[in-house]
Amino acid sequence: MTESLYKVITKEELSQFGYALRETGTIYAPVKTSKESHSFKQVDTLTEADLEYHRTMIPPKKFFISPKETIFTFNKEKEEYNETPAVNEPLVLFGVHPCDINALNLLAKVYLESFTDKYYSERRENTTIIGISCTPDEYCFCKSTGTDYAREGFELFLHDIGDRYLVRVGSLKGYNLLQKHASLFREVTEEDLSLYRQAEKKRLASFTKSLEMSGLQDMLDMSYNSPIWEEYGEKCLCCGSCNLVCPRCRCYDVQDYIDLNLNTGQRERKWYSCMLKEHGLVAGGHNFRATSAERLRNRVNCKGSLKEDMTNCVGCGRCSAYCPAGIDYVEILQKIRGDIE
Amino acid sequence: MTESNPLSPMKARITEIQQMTDIEKLIKLRFQNKTDASNFKYMPGQFIKLGVMGVGEAPISICTSQSDEPGLELCIRNAGRVTKALHNLNVGNTIWIRGPYGNGFPMEAIEGKDLLLVAGGLGIAPIRGVLQYALHHRELFGEISFLYGVRCYDLMLFKDEILDYFRHGDEKGVKLYLSYEDESDKVCYDLSCERDDRCTQGMVTKLFSMLDSKSNNSVSLIGGPPIMYKFTVRELEKMGFQPDEVYMTLERRMRCGVGQCGHCIVGTGKSIKYVCKDGPVFTLWDAMNTKGMI
Repeated sequence: MTESLYKVITKEELSQFGYALRETGTIYAPVKTSKESHSFKQVDTLTEADLEYHRTMIPPKKFFISPKETIFTFNKEKEEYNETPAVNEPLVLFGVHPCDINALNLLAKVYLESFTDKYYSERRENTTIIGISCTPDEYCFCKSTGTDYAREGFELFLHDIGDRYLVRVGSLKGYNLLQKHASLFREVTEEDLSLYRQAEKKRLASFTKSLEMSGLQDMLDMSYNSPIWEEYGEKCLCCGSCNLVCPRCRCYDVQDYIDLNLNTGQRERKWYSCMLKEHGLVAGGHNFRATSAERLRNRVNCKGSLKEDMTNCVGCGRCSAYCPAGIDYVEILQKIRGDIE
Repeated sequence: MTESNPLSPMKARITEIQQMTDIEKLIKLRFQNKTDASNFKYMPGQFIKLGVMGVGEAPISICTSQSDEPGLELCIRNAGRVTKALHNLNVGNTIWIRGPYGNGFPMEAIEGKDLLLVAGGLGIAPIRGVLQYALHHRELFGEISFLYGVRCYDLMLFKDEILDYFRHGDEKGVKLYLSYEDESDKVCYDLSCERDDRCTQGMVTKLFSMLDSKSNNSVSLIGGPPIMYKFTVRELEKMGFQPDEVYMTLERRMRCGVGQCGHCIVGTGKSIKYVCKDGPVFTLWDAMNTKGMI
């Protein structure tokens, strides 16, 4: 095989490709839902999508871990339960940013590595991810976290280089997809490469927010008793919005719901938030993270952790952009670093 | 647990219930499915998620050591919503189990060593499993000393076993030391008169003065409430235990048991750990490296 894994598609032909992708699965793409908000929504054609968006409020994790789902239904009298089958609908996620792709790769480690979650694995199996390059806004700091580039975890990746896209193949599934629609793609020329170089230069130069990561873990460790946590804990509303919009947050709660007949019911798993007071509460009443300062410290440390070989934060900026109390995650870490007062 | 989904429980039936104290019951149970029973292999210190349909699940320490006896024993304190529901069940009722989870105590790695076991309150549940294991494989371990601290006789768990070890432990290969907090406790006072070298009024830490000095080949395994760790660790350090010679088991809120739901996370950016998956047994050295652990 000598077939190149880089191709080019013009913006005009992309809409045709988008149309053809309907054979692959139901297409979800970023759609502008209000002046400042985007959401991954089902589209028929790519003209409905806004491919130059900065971020969706809810990250694409919603396609893999449902905000609320029934794990099984049970019948107490019959002493049995029935697992909910995994959904098999093929999906195409069109226009996913590198930060979100990297976040999904981290989620896959949690959900697939030691204990395989069948819902996550089947959904990922049935999903075609088409990534797209982006330009940062005032909240983006993915360059600092090293997640402004997606190396894997997608089928195809589109780099906007003017009137066309440079297309990277990220998986065999993506390669086959490209083969299937070969007539829409052409080989990369010297001119395309030069346009790609320029586009990358421009993209890198447009970051306004940055965070130095070196040594951060030790600084966090040594700042365990810092007054910073109290300072921000006081501002924090403990609403959990940061957790819901975080592409990497994956805390969930498991709860039973019983029907009015007191016999049948279901066990549900739903998104949960480490900023909520009950997160660290154990039976008997002891709470391991009773104050907002303790919970905020835990969240920032969890995000700043290197546990999964890279930091748990992908620099998407959502938690800062959507915090109703106006808490800036990067600002907290810059204070921890001593970069700002 | 099915292979496809770690959150799917196995069916078990309650075969015996023993009221141990006002708030604690010993529940014995047996898996309904033979394959589940034969696949269920565990080490002391591991835990399970025990569930009642319609109410929920709670993490519970296994308080036995694996033996040829079928079934499982769990010491359950009526402390929350799920455990309250468990306390309302009767022999013959069905309950649901997932697990075993967690690392457990490293029984194989500590073979050949003298064991100093320290338990306080409900912390005796996992430590009892350790003791059973060690006595079951008596030739693999050196001296075994067991320090147990209770508030009063009424709250003492596994009373018959404890009193048996107290009076006849030396012949069975374990020296049992007992402390009690309640000064007015008549039964415990009598025990302290019976053997003043093995029983005293006070916190469990008071028992350390009764011990011989530390051998150069010993480890300590402890289970108890968070506050007990702080004081016990101080005593162990005084005795000369190295941070990697002290093992302790931790309690946290745990929803999944498989390192996904995030509730049991401890530590900082440098040391984040899941208590359910990386623990619940940690060494003192782990705790020194993980802020907020104890």
